Amino acid sequence: MEAMTQGKAAIPEEDQVASEYLTFTLGSEEYAIDILKVQEIRGYEPPTLIANAPPFIKGVINLRGIIVPIVDLRIKFNLGKIEYTPFTVVVILNVARRVIGVVVDSVSDVISLKASQIRPAPDFSGSFDTRYILGLATEDARMMIVTDIERLMTRADMELIEAAAE
Amino acid sequence: MAIDMTQFYQVFFEESAEHLAAMEALLLELDLANPDSEQLNAIFRAAHSIKGSAGTFGFTDLAETTHILENLLDRIRKHELVLRADMVDAFLEAGDLLRVMLEAHQGRGSSDPSAVEAICERLRQLSSAPDVPAPQTAAIVTVQEPPGVPSKASESPGKRAYIIEFVPTEISARAGGVANLLDDLHTMGEVEILSQPAAGAGGVGFWQLRLITAVAEQTFADTIDFIADNGAWRIAEDKSFADNGMAAFGFFESSPGAPEDDRGYGFFAPLPATDLVEDGDGYGFFAPLNAPPTAVDSSPGVDGEGYGLFEPIVPAAPSPALVEQNVPVSIPVVAQAASEVQGTKIASPAAVSGDSSIRVSIEKVDQLINLVGELVITQAMLLQTASRMEAQAPERLVNGLAQLERNTRDLQESVMSIRMMPISFVFSRFPRVVRDLSAKLGKQVELKTLGESTELDRGLIERIADPLTHLIRNSLDHGIELPEQRVAAGKSPVGTITLKASHQGGNIVIEVGDDGAGLPRDKILTKARERGLAVSEQMSDPEVFNLIFEAGFSTADQVTDVSGRGVGMDVVRRNIQTMGGRVEIESTAGAGTRMTVRLPLTLAILDGMSVAVGDQTYILPLSYVIESLQPAPGDIKTLSNQARVIQVRGEYLPVVALHEVFNLKPLAGDFTQGIMVVIDADGIKAALFVDALVGQHQVVIKSLEANYRRVAGISAATIMGDGHVALILDLSAIAGMAKSNVQKAG
Repeated sequence: MEAMTQGKAAIPEEDQVASEYLTFTLGSEEYAIDILKVQEIRGYEPPTLIANAPPFIKGVINLRGIIVPIVDLRIKFNLGKIEYTPFTVVVILNVARRVIGVVVDSVSDVISLKASQIRPAPDFSGSFDTRYILGLATEDARMMIVTDIERLMTRADMELIEAAAE
Repeated sequence: MAIDMTQFYQVFFEESAEHLAAMEALLLELDLANPDSEQLNAIFRAAHSIKGSAGTFGFTDLAETTHILENLLDRIRKHELVLRADMVDAFLEAGDLLRVMLEAHQGRGSSDPSAVEAICERLRQLSSAPDVPAPQTAAIVTVQEPPGVPSKASESPGKRAYIIEFVPTEISARAGGVANLLDDLHTMGEVEILSQPAAGAGGVGFWQLRLITAVAEQTFADTIDFIADNGAWRIAEDKSFADNGMAAFGFFESSPGAPEDDRGYGFFAPLPATDLVEDGDGYGFFAPLNAPPTAVDSSPGVDGEGYGLFEPIVPAAPSPALVEQNVPVSIPVVAQAASEVQGTKIASPAAVSGDSSIRVSIEKVDQLINLVGELVITQAMLLQTASRMEAQAPERLVNGLAQLERNTRDLQESVMSIRMMPISFVFSRFPRVVRDLSAKLGKQVELKTLGESTELDRGLIERIADPLTHLIRNSLDHGIELPEQRVAAGKSPVGTITLKASHQGGNIVIEVGDDGAGLPRDKILTKARERGLAVSEQMSDPEVFNLIFEAGFSTADQVTDVSGRGVGMDVVRRNIQTMGGRVEIESTAGAGTRMTVRLPLTLAILDGMSVAVGDQTYILPLSYVIESLQPAPGDIKTLSNQARVIQVRGEYLPVVALHEVFNLKPLAGDFTQGIMVVIDADGIKAALFVDALVGQHQVVIKSLEANYRRVAGISAATIMGDGHVALILDLSAIAGMAKSNVQKAG
């Protein structure tokens, strides 16, 4: 195994240690995120609208007493059909000391990936910001985009976090 | 040492802080003329405790300083030394330094060793100052005794007037004895001859003299006796004499028969002089004893009355509550201490009095409050479900639920009251602030506090301290005039700042008032114009006064380190608004100013009115709502075709259509099909247009910003009975928006 020295994303040192990832689909693409950032998985319920918020922020819901904002990544990244069915899933994340929910098409399973299985992604200039992509992983015939979900959600254009704060 | 002491540090820091606070409060309360021995003991004990613990933990700098302090205090409480004002000042400064040292040990700031050395030196000097003889103290003590007790005139070194009457023997008269007597008396004081025998008598006859002297009467009595015919002499005190311009005190019994009228020549019964002298019992109250020099003097010198009752420092309204509050109340514990301490700390009953209390970490109390909040929501949901059941719910269920609601409400009130503390915790620091600041500014100010037992939530107490301090400093700096100016304006040279706290409705109202010069309307308008703010002469007084809340606003001619930079008031208002409260100003030129701060009693629960806008429900805090009405066609007028106003009872209010603000589709076709809700936010009035009124309920405030960010126009969120989220509107912001719309159009 050659050491991964290139790539913008950090590759863990130990080859042998595997981390667990939750995989979900957005449109036809499959993403994998660090399981430790996931708090729970729920069905979709219509959230309370927040006025003048960007369209991908659907609103807020009541999660056992806490107010949690819901973001629809499909709208944000323009992926797939944006519909809300009984099968629509919301992944509740715990990132940057906040609880945030993301709407996804479906959740697949939890897989274990060793560092060596995550290959660096090719550098697409422009259209897709590869800063948040840790790499690409393959299992069977599936290609999963391993994403740094914390960085993604705290992006300024996600408008979830006040620019001055944090 | 085998035992790790660091786990106990936190307890030491907290307790020492409490001891220091208690010491300061007691020092400020001390009556220098007659220090209460119990208070002195309490101050001594506080210093002693700090010394002991500091030594145990190895904080030698603290231990040494408190040791010197303790020595001095010990001598004072044993009456070996008399307490003086400069000592009190030194103690207060020592207390400040100890606080700094404590902070330094906790890692906050650093203490200056030279300052510590200086204060130690000063304390040592004070304790080695020559003792004032004890009898002086005894004399002071007798002042307090009921007026009937005669005090020996011989002990009181005051000037008295005596009427001396005598008939000299022929021999002494011829031998010039009278002349000698007169000479002698001259050396003792002023002699005035009221009556003497006719010139030809050679000095024999009735002499009446008046002598003003400080000398003990016994001294000249002997001389008179020597020359007078066998016992034919009398000395009486002249009560009509006033020393230092003070009228006679009126504590004496009926004065002895006026000697002037009595022309009894010859023999009159030798009256034992001492009897008459003892009539002078009013003298115990005399001012010759040192009036305690006080930094903040109201009027100690002007009239000597009520002397013993005087408090050298002037939180005038005697507040017994204040002393009781020195008992550290159980709750406050720094949250991070909780992690260092295992379990609940059950300290022995708090230091000074026998109150039983427990120290509980704040996290536990907050958790309890959260759980109770959830209980309220769950119970509301149950109630709603039961009322919506298809079949009629069994009566026992309904009754049970009603009972549950009552129980829950009671539980909620009890739990909220755990966090409530009396506002004296905040007020207690102000006497010191006023004392120091007025001394610095050369003004004479008295601080009055009312309603100190009014309780408010602990979280609010900490956050209200800074704004209140700022308001008081403002009053002192800008409001109260210099003594000369006050006298020129016909006021007493001593200004008064009044702090008053009370409950009104669901709010706590704190007023900071002064009897100073009031807000200068013209200066404010001029300054506002200079800053480019839109003002007009027609603005009402409240609107003009609200201008001082603009950032950077100050009409001060000079910037001092106390104020004048214009940074304060906008921060004050913002802080208060963050707490869900408002600030109002009232002022009369020449008479004074009053700032009223209104805060909701509980942070977490709000009385709200829910309204429907489009298909969404929003909550309006009920305290801002004045009324609601259905507009008739033609009530709504436009301004320059941009802004809308509605006339309500003669007043034109800007209209805010909430569906426009939130980009929703309204259900109402036009204005007449919806409802106008009139609100008043910090003096700004507006009318909100909504589709319908839904209801009124108590809601538990949930933070939106914990996981999301600030949304303009929304202050928080809540969870309704059916579980869905409703947003609570920020009415100050919305009203402000409405006003600026109208101003832009108009």
